[in-house]
Amino acid sequence: MVSKESCRNEIRAAIRQLSDRCLYSAAKWAGEQLVGIEQDPSNFTPSNTRFQRGSSSIRRRFSTISTPQPSAGFSQPPATPLPQEEDEVIDGDLYLLAKSYFDCREYRRASHVLRDQMSNKSLFLRCYALYLAGEKRKEEEMIELEGPLGKSDAINRELVSLERELSALKRTGAIDSFGLYLYGVVLKEKGNESLARASLVESVNSYPWNWSAWSELQSLCTSIEILNSLNLNSHWMKEFFLGSAYQELRMHSESLAKYEYLQGIFSFSNYIQAQTAKAQYSLREFDQVEIMFEDLLRNDPYRVEDMDLYSNVLYAKEACAALSYLAHKVFLTDKYRPESCCIVGNYYSLKGQHEKAVMYFRRALKLNKKYLSAWTLMGHEYVEMKNTSAAIDAYRRAVDVNPCDYRAWYGLGQAYEMMGMPFYALHYFRKSIFFLPNDSRLWIAMAKCYQSEQLHMLEEAIKCYKRAVNCGDTEGIALNQLAKLHQKLGRNEEAAFYFEKDLERMDAEGLEGPNMFEALVFLATHLKTNKKFDEAEVYCTRLLDYSGPEKEKAKSLLRGIRMAQTDFPSMDMEHFPL
Amino acid sequence: MAGLTRTAGAFAVTPHKISVCILLQLYAPSAQMSLPFPFSSISQHNRLGLYLLSLTKSCDDIFEPKLEDLINQLREVGEDMDAWLTDHLTNRFSSLTSPDDLLNFFNDMRGILGSLDSGAAQDDQIILDPNSNLGMFVRRCILAFNLLSFEGVCHLFTSIEVYCREAHSSSAQYDESNDNLESLIQHDQMDMEKYIMDKATEEVELQKNASGRVPFHLHTPEALFKVTKGLLVTRKEKSRTNTKKAEATQLACASSSTVGDTLVDESLFLRTNYQIQGFLMEQADAIETHGSSLSSSSIESFLQKLQNLAPELHRVHFLRYLNKLHSDDYFAALENLLRYFDYSAGTEGFDLVLPSTGCSMYGRYEIALLCLGMMHFRFGHPNLALEVLTEAVRVSQQHSNDTCLAYTLAAMSNLLSEMGIASTTSVLGSSYSPVTSTASLLSVQQRVYILLKESLRRADTLKLRRLVASNHLAMAKFELMHVQRPLLSFGPKASVRHKTCPVSVCKEIRLGAHLLSDFSAESSTMTIDGSLSSVWLKDLQKPWGQPVFSQESGSRKSSTFFQFCDHLVSIPGSVSQIIGASYLLRATSWELYGSAPMARMNTLVYAALFGDSSSSSDAELAYLKLIQHLALYKGYKDAFAALKIAEEKFLTVSKSKILLLKLQLLHEHALHRGNLKLAQRMCNELGGLASTTMGVDMELKVEASLREARTLLAAKQYSQAANVAHSLFCTCHKFNLQIEKASVLLLLAEIHKKSGNAVLGLPYALASISFCQSFNLDLLKASATLTLAELWLGLGSNHAKRALDLLHGAFPMILGHGGLELRARAYIFEANCNLSDPSFSVSTDSDTVLDSLRQASDELQALEYHELAAEAFYLMAMVYDKVGQLEEREEAATLFKMHITALENPQDEEPNMA
Repeated sequence: MVSKESCRNEIRAAIRQLSDRCLYSAAKWAGEQLVGIEQDPSNFTPSNTRFQRGSSSIRRRFSTISTPQPSAGFSQPPATPLPQEEDEVIDGDLYLLAKSYFDCREYRRASHVLRDQMSNKSLFLRCYALYLAGEKRKEEEMIELEGPLGKSDAINRELVSLERELSALKRTGAIDSFGLYLYGVVLKEKGNESLARASLVESVNSYPWNWSAWSELQSLCTSIEILNSLNLNSHWMKEFFLGSAYQELRMHSESLAKYEYLQGIFSFSNYIQAQTAKAQYSLREFDQVEIMFEDLLRNDPYRVEDMDLYSNVLYAKEACAALSYLAHKVFLTDKYRPESCCIVGNYYSLKGQHEKAVMYFRRALKLNKKYLSAWTLMGHEYVEMKNTSAAIDAYRRAVDVNPCDYRAWYGLGQAYEMMGMPFYALHYFRKSIFFLPNDSRLWIAMAKCYQSEQLHMLEEAIKCYKRAVNCGDTEGIALNQLAKLHQKLGRNEEAAFYFEKDLERMDAEGLEGPNMFEALVFLATHLKTNKKFDEAEVYCTRLLDYSGPEKEKAKSLLRGIRMAQTDFPSMDMEHFPL
Repeated sequence: MAGLTRTAGAFAVTPHKISVCILLQLYAPSAQMSLPFPFSSISQHNRLGLYLLSLTKSCDDIFEPKLEDLINQLREVGEDMDAWLTDHLTNRFSSLTSPDDLLNFFNDMRGILGSLDSGAAQDDQIILDPNSNLGMFVRRCILAFNLLSFEGVCHLFTSIEVYCREAHSSSAQYDESNDNLESLIQHDQMDMEKYIMDKATEEVELQKNASGRVPFHLHTPEALFKVTKGLLVTRKEKSRTNTKKAEATQLACASSSTVGDTLVDESLFLRTNYQIQGFLMEQADAIETHGSSLSSSSIESFLQKLQNLAPELHRVHFLRYLNKLHSDDYFAALENLLRYFDYSAGTEGFDLVLPSTGCSMYGRYEIALLCLGMMHFRFGHPNLALEVLTEAVRVSQQHSNDTCLAYTLAAMSNLLSEMGIASTTSVLGSSYSPVTSTASLLSVQQRVYILLKESLRRADTLKLRRLVASNHLAMAKFELMHVQRPLLSFGPKASVRHKTCPVSVCKEIRLGAHLLSDFSAESSTMTIDGSLSSVWLKDLQKPWGQPVFSQESGSRKSSTFFQFCDHLVSIPGSVSQIIGASYLLRATSWELYGSAPMARMNTLVYAALFGDSSSSSDAELAYLKLIQHLALYKGYKDAFAALKIAEEKFLTVSKSKILLLKLQLLHEHALHRGNLKLAQRMCNELGGLASTTMGVDMELKVEASLREARTLLAAKQYSQAANVAHSLFCTCHKFNLQIEKASVLLLLAEIHKKSGNAVLGLPYALASISFCQSFNLDLLKASATLTLAELWLGLGSNHAKRALDLLHGAFPMILGHGGLELRARAYIFEANCNLSDPSFSVSTDSDTVLDSLRQASDELQALEYHELAAEAFYLMAMVYDKVGQLEEREEAATLFKMHITALENPQDEEPNMA
């Protein structure tokens, strides 16, 4: 295990270097991790303890102990020594000016000031400022050029010159890891993904503390093959990267393992906690996620990032009050964040005010066109409002933003099914199942499609329900349907088997209801016809516990059984008054 | 959805429009003079005017020419003052150094317009009438400029810079890219002007000789009087010269990839919705027409570009779907089709929807189903396709979209008739009422018939003329191939007489062709408008189409005239496609009824007139027919040569019928040359092409086993051949293939004849003749009669007279329409009859026999049919022997020997085709 102290020192230096180069979000991320490291007991001060968590920190400390200690595979000293800052006396003054301009968002001015500076640091800042200036102009142009057809071919005009300059520098080798990072970003924008990956890998190998570089790299790893093919030096930052990359690739348990390991060092990192919560959310552990988010909010009350996920959890648990509280709080913090709009949208949706919900989702999308969950959620709202074509449009956009979003595929299938096009819908269900093959709900939806009266492909439906059962159908629809379908097809043995299973499940969960009666009646009659009177009697007596027509049915069945057992001449007893 | 409703008439100022304005300023300077400075004559001035007029018209086109192109065009128009014009243009552009200059420029433009009440204009002053075409153009430009925000002006300014820079850098680019060709290019560029002028005058002369029309370039005063025609001439002229030029540059660059590059040009300006829709529609037509010969990647990159520019234009996805469909990429096609309908709900740019019906709030997903069904069909998933189409029927009924329903039914009947799915009851049974009630009782053919009728009825009430026409054609095809009988026949009283009715086929075909006169009344105006706007100056784009045309063989070349007229009257491509299909169908029906010349003529009409607008599969069919004709009537050499051409053109097309044709030809050839092993192999390969599903691809299967039986027959394995033929007959009966039955019966008769069992053969031959009679298969009947006559002769020489009579009855048909083989057989048989007739004396009448034998041997040699040829020469030698002409006898004998040895040692020097 890397020693906490060395980590701390590395990060401290890195933050200084990153913020010196105006890589603020990376610096912010590093800062979060820095405070996330458990304090040395030696320099414990009361203020420090207050900053850290109370109750949960204890729990966490226990968990740290139980974490398996990794082998000495990556040992100290860290593989990458901290780069020493070069002497900046000569261009120091200009650099300071440029940095101030940069801080005031006067990017072009900043890059102009540094036009003749040759040191690596100034070079990076100049290029970076130029890049940001181009980005800013691009955003503006996008709005200006909004023509009759939504023309949006605005591009960052600085990319070409930046690429030329950076590639020349790279060829001569006069480029540092920050330059490589920028080069990677530029290449990615230009669509040259493989080169971009190579450049970013080189950057993170020589300077691993730049989280921005890691996250750019992560966005370029669209499949596990690509991820495995990367040639990365081992460093604790790589673990962070792998954690988030696994999460994107829907390998949730692997990602959870990574985070658990990291928690050994960064026991108080909000980031890790939020990421863990995300992974748990994907595994549908809502209760656990809720606790984690509550915890997170207690420590970091003005956090907006990832709070949309929390709102989803609250939505799923139908916690109106908590959701409204969260929405209010987030709105006061920063109302123009896509996440905040999404949370409000969720709140209205829960309240059944779908028009308002759509309005807020729209606002979220205006702030970030590629905000995946807002598209999907908007689709859900439109489905609620029975506006299927709008719903389909929204879902399709979600799918085009990220083709792995099984919710949107599922939504598409649902919408088409609603319109009475089950065969068309099947394709979408298949797509969604492809991305999440272990979810019983999806299998059930598909089975229902096959079962619909238009298609009536019962054999296929049975196959789907079987898959659903194997995936652990929590709602118990699949067993019941399987039994019914087999009954319909006249395969009584199979039907009995599934009814029995369903009965077991209901007993285990302590449920009662029409499904139970149905199962009991069927089993009793079936066993009776198969002359297994004893077992049939058991089911009949169970039925007698309930009132209603089933009770009468049970009585007559019982009578029939007695009759058959005592070998009476066959005679219909029901006609006799009792 | 959004795309269509937003400002459809947007008119944006672009650098190209500014150049036109600059030229307009030259054309009509506000100064007072009768002839402005640089022009030396009125005609020169007028020519510029006409050119400007065509430019302003073409401003609504989706592509705008680059400055370089414009300058090149100016060179053609401006002649001796072209340098001055270009200089002025470039200088004017370079004087625009700040946004303020633009403002001043448009202020100046106001000056060249006359006032609206322009009664006071002096005679000698050139003033643009504000209501004229040019005037309107200027006004629109000024208005559009005035509406621009300051950001807009800045954008215009930067795009002008790009526009000018491109023109400057283009020559430099050439140098960079092709170092080795540098000198050539420079030479080319220097001499370009001269070259073009030379070519132009040459062509003008040619044209004058050819058509007698006075071309524009000759500056005779008459030309100016024909102003109306003049424009026409310039366009045509320009297209020609431009083509030349394109060739020249292509030569210089020595790569055809430039064509693709032009298509995806950097200077793609976005235009109004209408134009784009029209343009996309054209592209869709192009994709269909050229099939996969059109490079799919170039279209793809172009679409990518368009999508970047206009993300809300969902039609692009549809185009991509079409493109992928034709390049056989199943997954991408499916993905794009679904995406298109997900985004636009099928409401964007679908012309089969009448505008008045508007969009229902449910969208038009039934169309998605229809398209999906057709896609599955194309990719060879008939069951899936049927499933989807059934859903389409249900959804269109649910949304009461009768139009779509009519189309879906037509698609369904097409599917059923092509694939002939055996067990469709489960699918069809569920939902569609007219089909449900009877579905289980009906055969596939009957179901096809019902579906067609239903579709026709709906299309008729909805006035969907194209659909009506194509349904009529489908109906004709149906009537042609399938035997008409009462739909539901119960009980002993129902008539059991089967027959086909050529009259009704003819009627259906004619009804189908009515479309040509009807289509102008069609209410879907958008199609026509959309494509018309880009037809202007389309001739300038001609070079793009160049590689496609140049690949094609001769038949295309004659069609340029028609194509040109095509633009003038603007017959939509789909209409001419259907009309073309009707000619093809005519050809097919004549083929079946047995008139070779008529079939050939109709195919030729098709290839000559409709070749350009045809879809690739139709064009393929036409080639196929022509090649088959060649093989039958001219021998294999010609046929294989033609096949080679066709192969280059069509083999890339999916499910190519050319492959089938090749196998057929090779099989025939091998049979005739006696190479039975090869024949067997070809036969097996042919069978392998068919799908393994029961009841699917019946025609192909029947053909394969027919050929197998013939191969066995040639190998003298009579009982096996008879077995195959018998089981084939059973299959035909089971699947209701009446026409095929006739030929199977004939084959059986043939088998018995060859096995020397003439008595057994007679009933088969007679049955075949009666089948042919009721199905009007005249040629087949003639050949059956020939077989019958042969059988009679086989019974003994005392029947020779009767056989000869039979033969003479069939002779007109055989000689007029029969192929080489049939004719040769008839001739040989005639000789045989005469020889075996005891009353016939060889020594006196030797010429009658020798004549027919000579005829036969000539034809057989063209066909390389060794067996029959040997027989002919044998007879010939015998006759010569009888009459004592020894020299001729020896000659015939050697030829006989040659053919016999060729037959016995079939060398494997198969033509290099195999």
